[in-house]
Amino acid sequence: MAVVRTEGLVKTYGATRALDDITLTFPDGGFFGLLGPSGSGKTTLLRAIAGFVIPDSGRVFIDDAPVENVPVEAREIGMVFQNYALFPNMTVAGNVGFGLEVRKVPAAERKRRVAEVLDLVQLGELGDRKPHELSGGQRQRVAMARAIVTRPRVLLLDEPLSALDKSLRVEMQIELKRIQREVGITTIFVTHDQEEALTLSDQIGILRDGRLVRHGPPREVYDNPRDPFTAQFLGEANLFSGTPEPGGLRLADGTLIPGAPTATIAVRAEDLRITLDEPAAPIRLRARLRQRIFAGAMGTCVLDWRGNPLKAIGRDQDFAGLPAQGDVWLSWDSADMIPLSEG
Amino acid sequence: MTNRFLARLGRIYLGLILFFLYAPILAMAAMSFNASEFYQLPFRFSTEWYERLWRNDEILTAAWRSVWIAVVVTVLATAAGTAASIALFRYDIPGKRILQVLLFPPIAIPWLITGTAMLIFFFGIGVGRGTPSVIVGHVALALPYVIVVVTARLSTFDRTLEEAARSLGAGPFTVTMRVTVPWILPGIVAGALFAFAVSFDQFVVSYFLSEPGDTTLPVLIYTAIRKGFTPEINAISTIIIGLSMAIMLVAARYAKFGGER
Amino acid sequence: MSGSLARTDRLRALALLSPAYLWLMAAVFLPLSAMAFFSFLSDVPFGGRDWQFTLDNYRAFLETPTYATLLWKSVKLGLIVTALSVLIGFPCAYVLAKVVRGRSREALFLLVILPFWSNSLVRIFSWAIVLRGNGILGSTVDAILPWDVRLNLMFSPTAIVIGLVHSYLPYVILTSYLALQAIDDSLIEAARSLGARRRTILRRLILPLAAPGIIAGAVLIFVPVVGSFMEPRILGGRRGTYYGTVIEDQFVAVFNWPLGAALSFILLAVVLGILALASPAIRRATL
Repeated sequence: MAVVRTEGLVKTYGATRALDDITLTFPDGGFFGLLGPSGSGKTTLLRAIAGFVIPDSGRVFIDDAPVENVPVEAREIGMVFQNYALFPNMTVAGNVGFGLEVRKVPAAERKRRVAEVLDLVQLGELGDRKPHELSGGQRQRVAMARAIVTRPRVLLLDEPLSALDKSLRVEMQIELKRIQREVGITTIFVTHDQEEALTLSDQIGILRDGRLVRHGPPREVYDNPRDPFTAQFLGEANLFSGTPEPGGLRLADGTLIPGAPTATIAVRAEDLRITLDEPAAPIRLRARLRQRIFAGAMGTCVLDWRGNPLKAIGRDQDFAGLPAQGDVWLSWDSADMIPLSEG
Repeated sequence: MTNRFLARLGRIYLGLILFFLYAPILAMAAMSFNASEFYQLPFRFSTEWYERLWRNDEILTAAWRSVWIAVVVTVLATAAGTAASIALFRYDIPGKRILQVLLFPPIAIPWLITGTAMLIFFFGIGVGRGTPSVIVGHVALALPYVIVVVTARLSTFDRTLEEAARSLGAGPFTVTMRVTVPWILPGIVAGALFAFAVSFDQFVVSYFLSEPGDTTLPVLIYTAIRKGFTPEINAISTIIIGLSMAIMLVAARYAKFGGER
Repeated sequence: MSGSLARTDRLRALALLSPAYLWLMAAVFLPLSAMAFFSFLSDVPFGGRDWQFTLDNYRAFLETPTYATLLWKSVKLGLIVTALSVLIGFPCAYVLAKVVRGRSREALFLLVILPFWSNSLVRIFSWAIVLRGNGILGSTVDAILPWDVRLNLMFSPTAIVIGLVHSYLPYVILTSYLALQAIDDSLIEAARSLGARRRTILRRLILPLAAPGIIAGAVLIFVPVVGSFMEPRILGGRRGTYYGTVIEDQFVAVFNWPLGAALSFILLAVVLGILALASPAIRRATL
């Protein structure tokens, strides 16, 4: 177990900056999720910590010791790859035991530890199988077992669940969290799935174009995204910009939003109320309902306000009285307005 | 750091291999432009050996024969090989694996064995040596190459295109000529060039099957080498190797073997 | 699917397949059978010669130690050339597949494979020009070294080995390259993340995964080298007598075709035995 720290990491590929001055601390024993759209540099950051990517400048520390001169194989990391990268010429037990074999762990102890970790990932009886005989979920567990059996200081997960279908993914998320908690290892994982990041992590970091936009505990980042990118990337948020006035925020159509704290505010899709009749609430807008989408327990309304698309999410019965299309009233509570900096 | 060092070492190694592969060929080519009849150095440039070549009727006749044999072989092997490839791809033929395995003997059995066996057989049935026998032998050797190359191209073909054409009312022949063949055309061209190269460069089988005094170019060169080396042989060899490498470069463009998938 | 449709399909398949396979039958498989038949004859069965069935040709192989010795000499040559080609060619394929990146890789690969598709006779001749006494290699070495060396490799087993390695090296590079390229880089990264060093990765991961390709390449070299006769003739001179040259002599000089057929057939048995042993590896390499 260890604290991982990066300091001013920069990596450029040609003209693109894959990493742009990343300084970040990954706490001991924590589950840190790196989140961002594709090309945001999250995988590059993970690979720089692993040692596969040599940064142009900046440093990586594991337990306060700089590791730039430590090759991958000596960094004592465990890594789970997106495609699992199981060795096709070895059995499950051979794959899991490989790291121990390389470390010259005696055969008897090796066998015991392999059996132990296979039990932990609930694959106790599959040690003799070859990787191609396993299902996707089983492969994922083998990759996990292989990465943790050497008791690495850091566990790195590169989109570990993206190759699984949705129901299996949810099951493996719970499984992953359980294993990580039992082993208590510092874990950094990369994902583009915001729900996955929010579910698993006790800290998240959001990257965009190689820069760290925001980091912190998931709830804090979600509730207070601070900038438009984070607000829209985490969950569904509707943005409103205007000119600040003493009474509030004057929008382009002349509507005054009383109590708006900044020039740009966000309102979560689940906090928007839609009514046919003009509501009594102090914050209200006239908008056009374009489409209602039924998706089981929850429903989505797609709206248009002066050419800007808006989205509202709610239980299906919340939208019960609404027509399929037409003019409606939007309103929200002033407590639901999220102040944003310019961006 | 050590990684970069190893990468550089690897590149140097690759350079040495290329030197090993090309140096003797370049040396031989250089000697074809050297005036000395006994390959004596220092080098003095001369095109005398090429001029002599031009006046050597025996070599010109053999060269011409080699070319037209290769053309005939290319046409026959490409047509038969492409047809077989399409059948192997399209139809669920019982014993398909056996048919595929049968392609290996002409490639895998040493040509010495195939060549002598052909010689025995053609004498046994009364055909004997001569250009027709050479052509029959060359086509058999070239067929597997054509089938392998065309099949590789076919494996990139989307079967639903054929089904779409049939759903639009096209019969099997129209489907083949208008949909399948245009798609695999690069493969067919590559296969044809391979067939040409196999025939044009073929020595062993031609050696056993051609009539003495009525031979192909490689056989003539072999006979000449055994009598003694002359710069004239260098000249004709340089032409042959330049030509066959040029053909293979074009074939590689079409076949795209070894490229990124 | 109705029966008649299946039948027309079958007819079409037959029509498309028969030219190629009848040709192979007539030009390869019937001749091989004819050779088997001939190897049991006392003389050729045409030109009004007397002939009968006999085992004499095979007896000759067993009773004349020269043939077995020469076969062993050819097998040894095959082993040496194969081993050298694998040792030289595999690192080259590795550099091409795993070190060189981008566009230059394709071009370099083509450069390595290209000579393989050019005329083999001419390439052997080019070595004769280089290796002969007072040839280019001799003159170059003489010019570089201050003392007098009489380097004459021509007409020696070394010359034959050099020429054959030159001829067949691209084979093993090709098959190894294809096998190495199929190894996902993330496997190597995974092994490194587990603490494996370069040598361990090579021994436990790369070599086992590339083995089918290496074996396929080795067989594709070994088989033709055992049956080679042109290369020993040109580069070996009078010392270039091998099993292949003896077979050649039976057909073009001595005209003892039945004996030649028997010797060819024994060689074929050796070759088929080796192909059968290696066929699982070859199948895995070509899939």
